[in-house]
Amino acid sequence: MRPRARLFHTGVSLLVTASLVLAGGCGTAGPGASRDRIQVWALQDPQNEPVIRAGLGEFNSGSPVRAELVTYVNDAYKQKLHVSMGSPNAPDVFFNWGGGNLAEFVTANQVVDLSHALAARPDVRDAFLPSVLAVGRISNGQYGLPMNGIQPVVLFYHKGVFAKAGLAPPKTWSDLLSLVDAFKERKVTPIALPGSQGWTELMYLEYLLDRIGGPDRFSAIAAQRSGAWRDPAVLRALQMCQELAERGAFGTNFASINYDNTGASKLFATGKAAMFLMGSWEYTSQLSNNPDFVKRGDLGWTTFPTVDGGLGDQANVVGNPANYFSVAASSPHVRDATTLLIDTLSSDAYVRDLVNSGQVPAVAGVEAKLAGTPNAEFATFTYEMVAKAPSFTQSWDQALSPTVGTEMLTNLQKLFLSDISPEEFVEAMEKAS
Amino acid sequence: MSERGLLNPRREVRTVVLVQASQLRPARRERPGFLWAAPAAVFFTIFGIVPIAVVLYLSFTTWNGLGTPEWTGTTNWRALPEDTDALHSIWVTAKLTIFCWLIQTPLSLLLGVWAAGPQRNRAILSTLFFLPLLLSTAAIALTWLSLLDPNFGLAASLGSYVGVPDGNFLGDDSRALYAVAAVISWQFVPFHTLLYQAAARQIPVAMYEVAEMDGARTMRQFISITLPQLRNTIIASSVLVVVGSLTYFESILLLTNGGPGTATRVLPLHMYVKGFVGFDMGYASVLAVLLVAVGTALSVLIVRSTGYHRMNSDREGM
Amino acid sequence: MTIYTAARHRAAEPRPRVTATRTRPPGRGTAGRRRPVNAAAGIAASVWLVIVAVPLYYIALTSLRTSDSYLTDGALTPPSGLTLENYRQVVDLGFDTFIFNSTIVTVITMVLVLLMALPAAYAIVFGGTRAVRATFNTFLLGLAIPAQAVIIPIYLLITRLHLYDSLTAIILPTAAFSLPMAIVVLTSTLRDIPRELFDAMTVDGAGTVELFRRLVLPLSRPGLVSVGIFSGLNAWNGFIFPLVLTQSEARRVIPLGLWNFQSRFGTDVPGLLAAVVLSTVPVLALYLFGRRQLLRSLSAGYGR
Repeated sequence: MRPRARLFHTGVSLLVTASLVLAGGCGTAGPGASRDRIQVWALQDPQNEPVIRAGLGEFNSGSPVRAELVTYVNDAYKQKLHVSMGSPNAPDVFFNWGGGNLAEFVTANQVVDLSHALAARPDVRDAFLPSVLAVGRISNGQYGLPMNGIQPVVLFYHKGVFAKAGLAPPKTWSDLLSLVDAFKERKVTPIALPGSQGWTELMYLEYLLDRIGGPDRFSAIAAQRSGAWRDPAVLRALQMCQELAERGAFGTNFASINYDNTGASKLFATGKAAMFLMGSWEYTSQLSNNPDFVKRGDLGWTTFPTVDGGLGDQANVVGNPANYFSVAASSPHVRDATTLLIDTLSSDAYVRDLVNSGQVPAVAGVEAKLAGTPNAEFATFTYEMVAKAPSFTQSWDQALSPTVGTEMLTNLQKLFLSDISPEEFVEAMEKAS
Repeated sequence: MSERGLLNPRREVRTVVLVQASQLRPARRERPGFLWAAPAAVFFTIFGIVPIAVVLYLSFTTWNGLGTPEWTGTTNWRALPEDTDALHSIWVTAKLTIFCWLIQTPLSLLLGVWAAGPQRNRAILSTLFFLPLLLSTAAIALTWLSLLDPNFGLAASLGSYVGVPDGNFLGDDSRALYAVAAVISWQFVPFHTLLYQAAARQIPVAMYEVAEMDGARTMRQFISITLPQLRNTIIASSVLVVVGSLTYFESILLLTNGGPGTATRVLPLHMYVKGFVGFDMGYASVLAVLLVAVGTALSVLIVRSTGYHRMNSDREGM
Repeated sequence: MTIYTAARHRAAEPRPRVTATRTRPPGRGTAGRRRPVNAAAGIAASVWLVIVAVPLYYIALTSLRTSDSYLTDGALTPPSGLTLENYRQVVDLGFDTFIFNSTIVTVITMVLVLLMALPAAYAIVFGGTRAVRATFNTFLLGLAIPAQAVIIPIYLLITRLHLYDSLTAIILPTAAFSLPMAIVVLTSTLRDIPRELFDAMTVDGAGTVELFRRLVLPLSRPGLVSVGIFSGLNAWNGFIFPLVLTQSEARRVIPLGLWNFQSRFGTDVPGLLAAVVLSTVPVLALYLFGRRQLLRSLSAGYGR
């Protein structure tokens, strides 16, 4: 072999050996080392993380076992959690969405029932808003406790665009339809819709079904009662959704718009769209991305319009009640983890941190705390909306099992594009449930 | 009398006795045996074959990823013909594969041949062409997602020139697949260009010179010399494109999530949605096994029908 | 006389059909020889230049934008305010750990793949026993396996081997999944080595090992480069294996590091693209540095 080649080969062998040693060495610092800590898994969220960390810090100062936080991005988190639960690498405490999402783990006996611990601390149990706590309740056991702010779905509107057109935000469904026509004439997209993602379209269906038939219609679906999808109220709600889309309320290119890259928020903030139905987090998002839009007072908000002759209480709300922390049954630190949740999540310090981060905690009696914050108006509006709501229906894609939820979102996209009829949607969902 | 078989030109010995190299072969001919391939074979068996065997097993069970799989026999397999989305996704996959091959192969071939040439600014431009390959799928998908935003991206400004005034590419039932094929091609053309470039540089210049002396023009040279000499590479590259289209869906997931509706839901994405979003692992395993079976069949088909498996050289007879 | 000169000489021999013979002195390089310039190829290159440049320009430009500029200005218009804030943010995040981890994973994966794939391709092209043919078909099968399909069995395997949350856990499956492609490309490269060279060396009494060292190894450089590049890039940008098989921040590789710019409610696009640019820099630098080596490898042949 030529000397240069020999040198090259030697160099490569050395590099390989060195790297293998490094890689192998690095491998030993694995879950074994962290088994004596409480691993808390949550979503990556710059707004929320400091709050959690502060809470964990409080807990750590008084506890022999320390807790640490590991965060992941949304889709990756669900996969990661599913793969890890039941394996030696499972977390001790994990973030979840309650409802059907949590029920999957409960059915597999992988979650700890916190009812006893709560019964011993009625002050904690009563601190949370009942409608929110209820979503962490699966088959009569309390499996999750709320850990962040409430996120109802709110109808945002652009005050500037409305003022220029001399129009007012809608109170009834027919108001909404005439607004759609009016804005179309003015070459403004009536409602921004990031239709490339199904969950954004779901919000319309959720509210409409509630307005038309009340929350029980969806409870039947969630309970997987046969024929629940075939309820005439469901059909009517679907028809109204399709009508809205076909009327041009969302423009022609809504299926290309993406929420995550702020395509829809931008459309709304720049006044190219007049309204935006979205979760309450949109306020915070607009505040950080388009501060001028918010500061000059152009961001308006109101409740979803009512439907004439509808049975649902117009104060009902849909959205994400909150997110929850649950304790994994396989954890070696069940008692400490339970203590962590019970002590921290409704503590004054934690609630205060949540409020300061711009969220609205799912805790009773925080009106006073909210009034002092910079975004008091919106925070108070959101809080009252939820506190006064007779029912708070969880987002369907979290409430239903993942298998059914995914099917539903796909079919809903097709419905909004008029690829399938409401009847076909109903039949497909009956089959899938 | 063949001039083959003698490599030393200084030896003017006429080959009366020894003619063909093949006849020179000593009786005990050493050929590389399985031992050479053993490390690769064993390694891949552990991390590739054994897992797929487990997946095959899972296809006969019902499992949501938690707890233990429950044996249910052929339930999942019998659900396959009923699954209209699966059948539709097979069709979408076929279309996407054809588009990708039609876009990538001619383009990579031309670019590879060009890059193998003598042009002066070739160096700088080749570097530039190489850049998309360095980017991660997430970065590429994100970039194109923004460029194709119907209100604020290039799609908005240039859409009307291609007959799409509302800039609606990724959200349109018929256009979405073309858009996705285009983005995937953008990502992978650099790699195939590299393959063709490497192969094109191997073509002896003498062949072109001889042809030129024969009076053949550039186009004729390309068709009679370049293309045949690149045959092995075209086959290898095509196998990678075809089978790649069957297994690659990361870009599609990020660009359209299979939408609008199911217009771009290719079979691997359908498998992913069923398995990792819907957590129906048993059925997803059925789709996975189907994918592997079809992919293998296709690559074996390509390899056999083109005689690739006979391991001949494009340069036989020189 | 070495293989190279012999081959070069043979290639220079005139084909029987041609009347006028041109003799080429052996031992000359390619300097002064011209390849035909293909007009169609030139056009393709120009068009492709635009198609490649625009998104790259978008990436570079956006990474320098402030976030309000990102939201108010159009996609390609030069922004009102340029800023390096995004880059500073990325560096503050500890991106150097991610780059370090990714480098280790990439280098070892590349080496493993090349070490295993070349001998296997050698056996497949020049061997031909039944076991070897079965191996080739197995790799064709392997080509069709989507990584996501087998991620759970692999996760279980890695956990059982006590390799969870290590860089080794990422390296092993990534290397395994790069093997099929490597085999396909290398068999293509190797089979273009003229059979006569192989036969001639055998006549001279060379055994399989010597054949490998003296014939196959030098002549497969172009294929090795392509395989190295592709498997390296696979390892550098791979996402699914790091996601499922590692956990702690200390083991994060670059694709996972990009997460820091994605939250539940949106993506910080300028920040993300700044991270993308920074993560491309090491690879790009290596490419520019090694370009000459690369070009020389690509033109190392036996036909000139």
